[in-house]
Amino acid sequence: MKKLLCILTALTMVLTAGLALAEGETYRIGIAQFAEHGSLDNCREGFLAGLAENGFVEGENLEVDYQNAQADMGIANQIAQGMASGDLDLICAIATPIAQACFNAADGTDIPTIYTAVTDPVAAMLATEDGTATGNVTGTSDKLPIEAQLKMIRSLMPEATKIGILYSTSEVNSESAIAEYQALAPDYGFEIVVSGISATADIPLALDALLPQVDCLSNLTDNTVVSSLPLLLDKAGEAGKPVFGSEVEQVKLGCAASEGLDYFALGKQTGAMAARVLSGEAAADIPYEVISESSLYVNYDALAAVGIELPEDQAARAIDVSTL
Amino acid sequence: MLELRNVTKIYQAGTINETCLFQDFNLAVPDGQFVSVVGSNGSGKTSMLNIICGSIEIERGQVLVGGKDITRMSEFRRHRTVGRVYQNPALGTCPSMTLLENMSLADTKGRPFNLRRGTDRRRIAFYREQLSRLNLGLEDKLHVKVGSLSGGQRQAAALLMSTMTPIDFLILDEHTAALDPKTAERIMELTDQIVREKKLTTIMVTHNLRYAVEYGDRVLMMHQGKTVFDRAGEEKRGVTTETLLGLFNEISIECGN
Amino acid sequence: MGIVLSTVEQGLIYAILALGVYITYKILDFPDLSVDSTFPLGAAVTATMITNGMHPLLTLPASMLAGALAGAVTGIIHVKCRVRDLLSGIIVMTGLYSLNLRVAQDKANLPIFGTDTLFKNGLTAALPDAVADYAPVLILLALVVLCKLCMDWFLRTRAGYLLRAVGDNPTVVTALAKDGGMVKIQGLAIANALVALSGCVMCQYQRFFEISMGTGAIVIGLASVIIGTNLFKNLSFLRATSAVVIGSILYKACVAIALSSGLLPKPQDMKFVTAVLFLLILALGEVRRKKVKAHA
Repeated sequence: MKKLLCILTALTMVLTAGLALAEGETYRIGIAQFAEHGSLDNCREGFLAGLAENGFVEGENLEVDYQNAQADMGIANQIAQGMASGDLDLICAIATPIAQACFNAADGTDIPTIYTAVTDPVAAMLATEDGTATGNVTGTSDKLPIEAQLKMIRSLMPEATKIGILYSTSEVNSESAIAEYQALAPDYGFEIVVSGISATADIPLALDALLPQVDCLSNLTDNTVVSSLPLLLDKAGEAGKPVFGSEVEQVKLGCAASEGLDYFALGKQTGAMAARVLSGEAAADIPYEVISESSLYVNYDALAAVGIELPEDQAARAIDVSTL
Repeated sequence: MLELRNVTKIYQAGTINETCLFQDFNLAVPDGQFVSVVGSNGSGKTSMLNIICGSIEIERGQVLVGGKDITRMSEFRRHRTVGRVYQNPALGTCPSMTLLENMSLADTKGRPFNLRRGTDRRRIAFYREQLSRLNLGLEDKLHVKVGSLSGGQRQAAALLMSTMTPIDFLILDEHTAALDPKTAERIMELTDQIVREKKLTTIMVTHNLRYAVEYGDRVLMMHQGKTVFDRAGEEKRGVTTETLLGLFNEISIECGN
Repeated sequence: MGIVLSTVEQGLIYAILALGVYITYKILDFPDLSVDSTFPLGAAVTATMITNGMHPLLTLPASMLAGALAGAVTGIIHVKCRVRDLLSGIIVMTGLYSLNLRVAQDKANLPIFGTDTLFKNGLTAALPDAVADYAPVLILLALVVLCKLCMDWFLRTRAGYLLRAVGDNPTVVTALAKDGGMVKIQGLAIANALVALSGCVMCQYQRFFEISMGTGAIVIGLASVIIGTNLFKNLSFLRATSAVVIGSILYKACVAIALSSGLLPKPQDMKFVTAVLFLLILALGEVRRKKVKAHA
């Protein structure tokens, strides 16, 4: 029994230490990230850069408690509840499920939640249809520039008719992206062939079935699929079909090209919003923002491997990922 | 009357190791008879019990109780009228439940296992009395988990449990084999007492020739799936352990041992 | 204080799941993997009912029923189709994944912010502020105690005895002229009803359904059961069910400690620290047991 008491005492001490009060003009924020993931990491770095640009510099007047749920919902909730019960000035939540968990946990406190990398804030009930917040919450959406991507694929592959998309049925963001792909594809003369998976282990089989049916693959920001990108590239490479990514990290890893979001820029934009909130603006008064501009990222080696040459007009604005 | 009619049992049918244990095996046990079954290992004693209880399926033939064919009846349904005690004391009781809980379980047999209290407090005195008959001190261990009792104590409890509610048949599968001589003796006496009191039709497989001679009113020797010796009533009284031992030796010589 | 409170709250929610896992793992001796899908099933049923304007209280029996059905299917696959226990759980876990999406109106994530839940409704809003903070933990405590008492009661009924017997020694159940298979099916149904109830409560607590919320549910359940039953093995005054509830809270406490920034060189180390804490708890149980033996 005594040992049990010791443990409990230790627990309380550790917790109170973690909650030690901030001194002077220092701001304390929490960053809750859903999973270890290149894009989400870029988001976080961008977020801190955005804050720094606006005068909130980590280590000077900003204390950051960064936690990662490692894609576990139970842990995501604990992180959210833990942050909401501390005396933070703001919580930054990266990706949809943890944004919802933070919003829920901070409800009833005066800690604002700033989210990023949430594809559809309205579907996630973090914002209403007209763009206003549902509470003390705002942020940025990482909605894919799907139309630009279709336009880009058309200009690179004038003969192609079928685009294959692999997605995991567990990710709400992927569903809405697929719906948009399917709505827009006919305008550019494409047909979308989708294949839904539920776990990383399904990917090889799904690819074997999907690849013969399509002219190329286009990726979403689907976490499950993206985490198996090397395998996907391998299989597509064997079949001689190009893979188009959904953001710059994927192109760096070997996708041919992408009309993609710059997650660092997205994070930076979110950081600027957070700075406004820290300076006294109410999060609820700031509508959520979407990055509208996309950039063309190109991996020239990957393009050459499938025998595609970048047209003149595209080459001018293309960013070569090997220079990044 | 319990009957096995033209029973054929083949193990590993359709494989190269196919072995036919019983071929048109017949046995009739009149109500109230206490049959002791002896025989060497692999002679089919336990298989016969398993066939009666429905633990194994047969290829051909019938199992009848009181003229009614129960060949296709599932094992658990047959146990409505059958109590069985195994050689392994662990098989007859639930180790992580207390002795009282085990007794209560057995007492509920034949009645619905519904949401009533598992242990009827008014029955505790009865359980205690039953246990005290064993002279094993079990009446003071009602709240002890059965798993921590000795093998003999567990086997005694198993015997009580299998005969607590009204049954017609008692199947004893070498139920004293794993016990020390003294406890075995005690359990055997108790078995005989219960069988007489409740007028149970009993089939007891045993390796102890003395038990086969001393107890019961019929003795059966089995060899390679056949009955080689069968004496009942007056005739059985003349059978001695020497008779049985002699038979055993004959069989062994035949087999070339 | 807030973090202790929220740790206890989440521990209590998973305690209901752990009680279900206790039935399958400890009583039935059946490693039931369907839990990973019946937990979100309860949440899916809840989110859909609430978005369709139904009363939050109704979601409790509804999700329990859904969970019980799923559990029964696991049992039927195992008993009637003679599929290995692990595999029948995997079959249901896999199939239910799609079904859960259907139940949640084809959404992998279904929020219920802004609607009444068990924890946020007219009644709790009327509470004075000082009490309101404790409303969730009190509601959860009441629910968990109710579940625990029901289970204690059930395990002492005739049906409960039979359930314990079938995991302990199926031969005895056959000897009692009862179909052990049916008893197993019933046990799995009860266990998964509890798991789905836990999912239902979790959904109302976090106020959204998320298809991935069941991932690792079985691990949390098993860890809670093992931590609880190992640590309190020799405390006879503590029922196993209470031990399981405490185990679940301890599990969440381990994660909370691991999460508290002071201990972590890097956020990535969180799981490692959690694992070390589990090990410490189990070792503690072992030390305590040896002491008890030495005194005896």
